[in-house]
Amino acid sequence: MTLTTSEPTTHPGLQLPFERATLSNGLKVILHPDRSLPLVTVNLWYHVGSKNERPGRTGFAHLFEHMLFQGSEHVPTNDHFRFIQQVGGVANGSTWYDRTNYYETLPAHHLDLGLWLESDRMGFLLPALTQESLDIQRGVVMNERRQRVDNQPYGRATERLHELLFPPDHPYHWPVIGYMEDIAAATLEEVRQFFRTYYAPNNAVLTLAGDLDPDEALKQVEAWFGEIPAGPPIPPISPLATNPAPLGGERREVQEDDVRLPRIYLGFRGPAYGQRGWYAADLLAGVLSGGKSSVLYRDLVYDRQIAQDVGAWVSPYEEIATFMIVSTARPGVPIETLERAILEHVERAAAAPPEPADFERSRNRMLTELYSGLQKLDNRADLFSQFTTFFDDPGGVAGEVERYLEVEPRELAEYASRWWTPSERAVVTVVPRKAA
Amino acid sequence: MDRSTPPPSGELRPFRFPPFVKRALPGGPTVYAARLPGVPLVSLELAARAGAHHDPPGHSGLATFTASLIDEGTKERDSLEIAALMERLGGYLYAAADWDSGFVGVAMLSQHLDAGLDLLAEIMLAPTFPGKEIERIRQQRLAELLRRAYDPSAQADDRLVEVIYGGTPYGSPLLGLEESLRTLDRDAVMAFYERHYPIAGSTVIAVGDIDPEDLIGRIGGSLAPRSGQEPAPASPVIRPAPLEGVSIHIVDRPGAAQTELRLGHAGVPRTHPQWTALNVLNMVLGGKFTSRINMNLRERHSYTYGANSRFAGRLGPGPFTVDAAVATESAGAAAREVLGELRRIREDLVTPEEMEETLSYMIGVYPYTLQTVGDLAKRLEILSVFGLPDDFYDHYLDRLAAVTREDLLKGAREHLHPDHIAVVAVGPADVLLPQFEGMGTVTVHQRQPEPAAAEIAS
Repeated sequence: MTLTTSEPTTHPGLQLPFERATLSNGLKVILHPDRSLPLVTVNLWYHVGSKNERPGRTGFAHLFEHMLFQGSEHVPTNDHFRFIQQVGGVANGSTWYDRTNYYETLPAHHLDLGLWLESDRMGFLLPALTQESLDIQRGVVMNERRQRVDNQPYGRATERLHELLFPPDHPYHWPVIGYMEDIAAATLEEVRQFFRTYYAPNNAVLTLAGDLDPDEALKQVEAWFGEIPAGPPIPPISPLATNPAPLGGERREVQEDDVRLPRIYLGFRGPAYGQRGWYAADLLAGVLSGGKSSVLYRDLVYDRQIAQDVGAWVSPYEEIATFMIVSTARPGVPIETLERAILEHVERAAAAPPEPADFERSRNRMLTELYSGLQKLDNRADLFSQFTTFFDDPGGVAGEVERYLEVEPRELAEYASRWWTPSERAVVTVVPRKAA
Repeated sequence: MDRSTPPPSGELRPFRFPPFVKRALPGGPTVYAARLPGVPLVSLELAARAGAHHDPPGHSGLATFTASLIDEGTKERDSLEIAALMERLGGYLYAAADWDSGFVGVAMLSQHLDAGLDLLAEIMLAPTFPGKEIERIRQQRLAELLRRAYDPSAQADDRLVEVIYGGTPYGSPLLGLEESLRTLDRDAVMAFYERHYPIAGSTVIAVGDIDPEDLIGRIGGSLAPRSGQEPAPASPVIRPAPLEGVSIHIVDRPGAAQTELRLGHAGVPRTHPQWTALNVLNMVLGGKFTSRINMNLRERHSYTYGANSRFAGRLGPGPFTVDAAVATESAGAAAREVLGELRRIREDLVTPEEMEETLSYMIGVYPYTLQTVGDLAKRLEILSVFGLPDDFYDHYLDRLAAVTREDLLKGAREHLHPDHIAVVAVGPADVLLPQFEGMGTVTVHQRQPEPAAAEIAS
């Protein structure tokens, strides 16, 4: 039986207009008008994340993000969310290895409110920092860590995989949320110092997107942010972050956990986000595990039925990426059997380019996901901030389509053979805890 | 700049619910179609009265099992060929059921709409339910049950609904219970499909970069009704027994790093006349970041990373629930705080400030919730599933604005029951037990017996 397919997929490209400016204090501003809904998004990226921490003081960037919702000189404690929610806005922030972002989407006529709140905590945070707020937020973050990591089945596996893939002084060695004892030890003076070092306009990108007039909006930004002084130069990340010494031997660990089905986490390093090899890796991830007809799903879950699930991802890290393959064994299947099956596919991926149908599926899937992700204004604004923070290139958002389309099938095999060598991999298997 | 107070707003810009076309095709589905330009995407979904509340006694999981098998084979194509067809075009196909409905849908680039519609029709008109796929999916679901039994959050959810709804379809998870899942056979699946997925009386929801009239024409041509089919049966009545007092259920998870806490009781159907008021009430109580329960448990006590409450909107009386993952040593105190908030909101009117902030949040956030193809499709699905009038969303903001503090107090007194409520705590029983003394009757459960699925060798 042959599959009927309709016309080949065409990709019309993306229309994403923007204007950019840089204030005299170094704040980069991106303005993306879109009048389809009466909404405006304020999206602020600080180029600081857990990679700027050091061993023994981990989790700081994230704890600090919590403190930024505790009020500033003109915004009372706990009123940040209240001011936004009471006009129908939504707000949040997130911390990652390479950056911290803060964002609110508001009814368009409340743009000034978002600018007031963000400029107040960029320029006038220190007077509002109190020991009491810090104590409360340390407790909240410890519960966040328990909920996301320690009380989560398989919750410590990804953390351990990073520890094995990168040496102890590498900035991706420790988890973004930090270790419990480090969170508990954070002091108010360290919070202040962190703010002075990293939370300055010259280390930030502000994107406004939605129902706005770019010229008008830029004047508003200038009025709210222009008077905040630039900070000192940002301490650089060690060049070794991009180029750590090779592992020179497989790293492996077995974790016992309160689970019933064993699971394997296989990790490799790879070129950082933005490089051509990263896009090859993303397409390879799609070939292997994107959808029910993908290579790994077809073989492990559907045909052989030795796996309950399987996923493959390349992480969009700025210094050096990780590629992970994760799969849960079916009841009664030894984890070694599943590992052997996965490693056969790893070798095959390095030996030859993917089948044309698998490559086409993966590429079309990536592009559909790109379009799909651009539907929400806040996602779009986040991408503008991301491309400006990492590459100083807001036009890179629309350029993503081309970067996927440029990659040739043979590059996927080249990627796998260059990066997926046995001596450069880390393996964590999570197995049921033995009865006491 | 004057930074001392929030800046004044500009001028409010109007927003209207996007226009859509609704058309009942003679002997066929009712189509809801809306054009949402901007991105080249389309979502196309058939919804049938085939939700899990139709699971027959002793056959929990039948609705979701049947739905997950609909796209596993047709006369033309086997399971992988069906999946590959859409995936190769960058789209995907799904088939699933919730409590109220069964769904089969495709999401794709709009240039592939024809392929998507043809595939949807092929699947809906002649699924073959191959025996080998039934067995494969059964094994997969048994393994999923085993995974749930070791997931503290899922354990808490499952225990709570069992306490509130035991003996009714709402009393087991959507996936079903192991005893049932082992016995469901091809006859049961076929019978459920025949009874609950007639084309006549079903709904098709199409949203995206489409021309609604053109699409309705094509649907009429593709999804012709199968002959000799009765309309799907009406929803069964679900009436759980009232809860007696406060019953605490501790599920022992020795050595756990945290405790999953749940409180809940039966609520009201989505079509209840007080639904809008109850939603506003819930928003004040535990539905947003600045709600009473979250501010109390998180920002005042740091017991948790976050606490939420909700009324589940279903055809039957879905649950009212509160959930939080809390530090184990604070679990009892956190439960008392939640009960205290439930009592407090039944005693006094919410403050005028709370009322104004909450209404203006719910009104202001409305356009934000209608940005994507999926957002709009979901709203149209709600109109169809709950039989709401076509202009329901045109008057949504007016209905919200008309809710009063007195409506909230009435809603709280009639539909929140802090003295007849189930409390579930999944964590180390030895640490938890003393904390719940004096709150109500306490039962300690061991982890569910090891499901036999563990012994299946592959």
